[in-house]
Amino acid sequence: MNLIRDVLDSQLVDSNNQKMGKVDGLVMQLREGEQPRVTFIEVGSITLARRVSARLGLWVARLNERLGGARHREPFRIPWSKVAITGVDVTVGVDAEETPVKDWQRWLRRNVIGRIPGA
Amino acid sequence: MKKALEITLGIVTSIGGFLEVGSLSTAVQAGAKFRFQLLWAIALGTICIIFLVEMAGRFAAVSRHTIPDAIRERFGFGFFLIPLTVTLLVNFLVMGAEIGGVCIALQLLTGISFQWWALPVAFAAWLMMWKGTFGVIEQGVSALGLVTLCFVVAALMLHPAWTDVGKGFLPTLPGHDRASYWFIAVSILGASITPYLFFFYSSGAIEDKWDESYLPVNRVVAGLGMSFGGTIAMAALIVAALVFLPRGVTEINSYDQVSVMLTPVFGHWGFVLFAASLGIACFGATLEIGLEQAYLIAQGFGWNWGENLKPKDDPGFALVYTIMIFLSSLLMLVGIDPLKLTLFSMALTAASLPVTVVPFLFLMNDERYVGQHRNGIIGNAVVLFIIALAFVLAVVSLPLEIIGGSS
Repeated sequence: MNLIRDVLDSQLVDSNNQKMGKVDGLVMQLREGEQPRVTFIEVGSITLARRVSARLGLWVARLNERLGGARHREPFRIPWSKVAITGVDVTVGVDAEETPVKDWQRWLRRNVIGRIPGA
Repeated sequence: MKKALEITLGIVTSIGGFLEVGSLSTAVQAGAKFRFQLLWAIALGTICIIFLVEMAGRFAAVSRHTIPDAIRERFGFGFFLIPLTVTLLVNFLVMGAEIGGVCIALQLLTGISFQWWALPVAFAAWLMMWKGTFGVIEQGVSALGLVTLCFVVAALMLHPAWTDVGKGFLPTLPGHDRASYWFIAVSILGASITPYLFFFYSSGAIEDKWDESYLPVNRVVAGLGMSFGGTIAMAALIVAALVFLPRGVTEINSYDQVSVMLTPVFGHWGFVLFAASLGIACFGATLEIGLEQAYLIAQGFGWNWGENLKPKDDPGFALVYTIMIFLSSLLMLVGIDPLKLTLFSMALTAASLPVTVVPFLFLMNDERYVGQHRNGIIGNAVVLFIIALAFVLAVVSLPLEIIGGSS
């Protein structure tokens, strides 16, 4: 397996087979005298912004905290142990609806889209 | 049997979906000003879009990826931002032009100025996306788009000198108005090779759950459908050449002038047919581009997407097309000239092609995505050559056109 090629930026699918974003970042742990290992994958706008520039990352983190509270201050992390590479997509053993990742879509559904007739 | 039906539907869709405000107005400009001399540009553009549409369908069927999804995965998020931004911007302008086309059609039929139609048209298009399914949009609107075949009928009834028409397929240098010749050539290429068309097609293939058994269907639909589509654009050029040039009209400055192009053949009905063709074709294109904007963002960021889902099941997707339609309709609301916006946005499309097509060609040659169904050397060479030509012509002629004033 090639981390950058097969994992980073791949479609992320949750335990209910729902699309839950992309693998926006990878977290690795460096250990003295041992092989480095992947510990988490990261999902969300903060990670994406950090990939563009560190300053943009700071701004987006601050904005996310203001809009969504402390739960959105840091990028959402999924432990590597819950990750499975399934062909084209990366499947994780979590329920997207219980994570902060889908908070904004839920908010949108409740307060905007859901209020328009016919939604 | 099912496949035969799908081939028919696919071809109908492409015929109905090919002609939109860009192909129509660039073809009419070319015919009025340069007679048949620019037919080669439509031919070249059509060849390129045949290849690209075939590739887009093959890519989706084999890799199960949409194009934006794969560009991000293959080249990373940083690179993805470039085609994303460029495409969103170009689509914004093109959708403004398409909404403008519908507004002009309504202005022709009712006499009420096009600006007043901007918001009602945007609302109608939004409602179609909000309530409609992918099949309704793809097939319903495109079947109505067959009305554009009236240009082919008109071209045949005008009995053009076919040897002269044939000569137009060989590129020649213009005897007059050189800058304008190349600008129109570029706009024609941009109007034929629209990225939203093949991006949309690849999303459609995923929505319809294509697999490798669809490759023959895909080949036939791309080849025949796009050829028929190109034929309609060529017919519009021929009609314009035969109707306008003998009457001394060589400069097309507004849609009012264009609206009478079918009356020498069909009488008063020619006027109605023209308005109907323009309105229906542009409304269909508005829907496609609106959806494409939402596909692009949703696929790039991994959200739930799909025109067959209810808006509450993909709120992000629904929000994007809602905002995008509204934004593009503002271009018409503030009264930007629809014809000028059309020509400009088509030339800009041509200039932007390398940003979307080159990464796509990389994907089409990558075994990890398409395996044994990789591009052959001919497909690569043809597309690269035409894209490079369109880009160079655009980069040279766009500044000239802007400095010289779009006259």
